[in-house]
Amino acid sequence: MLRIRNLRKIYGNYHALDGLDMDIGDGALYGFVGPNGAGKTTTLKIISGLLLPDGGSVEVDGVDALRQPVLLKEKIGYVPDYFGVYDNLKVSEYMEFFASCYGMEGLKARKRSQTLLEQVGLGDKADFFVDGLSRGMKQRLCLARALLHEPVLLLMDEPSAGLDPRTRLEFRETLKELNAQGMTILLSSHLLADLAELCTDVGIVDAGKMLLEGSVEEITEKIHISKPVIISVYKNMEAAMALLKEHPLVRAISVKNREIMVQFSGSERQESGLLAELIQAGVQIRGFVREPGNLEAVFMQLTNQEEERVVLSYEHDRESGL
Amino acid sequence: MNMIVNPVYKREMRVSSRSFRLALVLLVFNGILALVALLNMYSMLAQIRVTAEIQYGSFLDLYLFVAVLEFIMLVFIMPAITAGSISGERERQTLDLMLSTKMTPLQIVLGKLAASMSTMILLIVSSFPILALVFVYGGVTVKDIVLLLVCFVVAALFAGSLGVCCSALFKKSTLSTVAAYGAMGIVVAGTYGINQLALFFNRMPGGAYLASSNAGVGEGSSGSFLYLLLVNPTMTFVMTMLRLAGRGTAGGAVTQWFGRHGENFVSRNWVGCSVAIQVAIAVVLIRTAVWALKPKTGSGRRTD
Repeated sequence: MLRIRNLRKIYGNYHALDGLDMDIGDGALYGFVGPNGAGKTTTLKIISGLLLPDGGSVEVDGVDALRQPVLLKEKIGYVPDYFGVYDNLKVSEYMEFFASCYGMEGLKARKRSQTLLEQVGLGDKADFFVDGLSRGMKQRLCLARALLHEPVLLLMDEPSAGLDPRTRLEFRETLKELNAQGMTILLSSHLLADLAELCTDVGIVDAGKMLLEGSVEEITEKIHISKPVIISVYKNMEAAMALLKEHPLVRAISVKNREIMVQFSGSERQESGLLAELIQAGVQIRGFVREPGNLEAVFMQLTNQEEERVVLSYEHDRESGL
Repeated sequence: MNMIVNPVYKREMRVSSRSFRLALVLLVFNGILALVALLNMYSMLAQIRVTAEIQYGSFLDLYLFVAVLEFIMLVFIMPAITAGSISGERERQTLDLMLSTKMTPLQIVLGKLAASMSTMILLIVSSFPILALVFVYGGVTVKDIVLLLVCFVVAALFAGSLGVCCSALFKKSTLSTVAAYGAMGIVVAGTYGINQLALFFNRMPGGAYLASSNAGVGEGSSGSFLYLLLVNPTMTFVMTMLRLAGRGTAGGAVTQWFGRHGENFVSRNWVGCSVAIQVAIAVVLIRTAVWALKPKTGSGRRTD
């Protein structure tokens, strides 16, 4: 559905996109994750034809997005990270205006608008002024607007931003429904927990480059090292901490009572090596296990690779004498 | 794209027709004009009763008064209406939404311009019955009124294109309004000022150097700078009104204001030439606005 190769965008001296590659299959619900300034919005704006890149290629459903912008706009539905509504228009008029922007007029436009308003739960709000809608309703109206021309790829930039948990949940269900109907959705967000549950595929971007891309399962499996190792110490906590702090593969440590949570960037073999080293150092261990990984851990690890190792917290209870 | 009515135009007209403001402006504007016209007629009738003499020139003055008032309104209100048209969409964050549809930048610009011009032309046409009062006494023909309407439409197109262009080039409506008025000031007052300055220098003792630097220009005139006035809608209007009122020719007026210039095709057809040039400039301004809305490479604001 979407194929991006070596995408570049420069603002002055700042490289917003630095050779970004992306592949989205038909019917995917793709989560596009990255910290602020990573290049998410720039990428979405280029895909939707609102910005031109300084290099690279974008292909949407076989259409060269940079050379065939008119065809592209038939295929794309764009929901930006703001509402963009006309307060002095009624909901139905707002929909009909955008329908006419896509060349739909009269009865066809009215029917399509009404169907979509009902689909997003705004069927009874057609005669309301947009001004009077709540934030969640405006977001759903924007979604309905983007679907007017039946696009094959829906682009959504931070759609959950500013929504309350209930509205966010409802919105997520709407997206799931759309995806179940066969629509490919590209969703940018920083709410990783939401994405992990919702998306079929994830791309992690930072500094204008794609760091990792694939299905959620693939990523969590591939990044075994992102899963923290939980070490339950029975005796000799000081020796364990001393060894872990100096260990080259340990990225972060947090301690609670007698449990040490270690961000260990080694393989399974190196993991067993760590256990052996701890035992050799005289640490008595009653538990050593990898915690199930999550997307947030992957994201944090990938976007903080160069940071110095930090001990997040260390609550050593000397009184315990362990 | 097969669209009967430009969607932007349709939306703007729907919103403005819903607003009470347009009706109020029409009422106040035409009310003032009607009041002035009726007072004028009343004073003339009173004068006739006393002197038994009809001064037909006074009716023509009424016509000139209404036309001048409308022209001033056109040239000075049109930039204000249009300067916020596209930047307002940008501030409302609806411009990108429109650009992400099948609407082209040209359609957006033309829709905005047409909506602004419709409002102004509605104001002008609504005042024509007052202008038509002059028909009762004669002196102005329907052809003259049509010519005046053409002059107004061209001035509105010029001022509107300037406003829309500034609106597309500047992100903020405040800035684009200032820029539109600044540019309009340069066009209206600047071209006149340059000519007066050139005339002043050329009339200084031994100061014909400006004239000598411009081929085909007589001594004691503003020289080739005169042609800068072709872009000035005020000058076009003045020339049109002189012709309508029968109070002189373009050549005579030019000689009176900017010194003696040789007669040529331009001076003989001043209104036609200036209308053509202003329409051409309006087209360039519209193209510039369209260019400003198109996606670009290499620069721009950083998003994320």
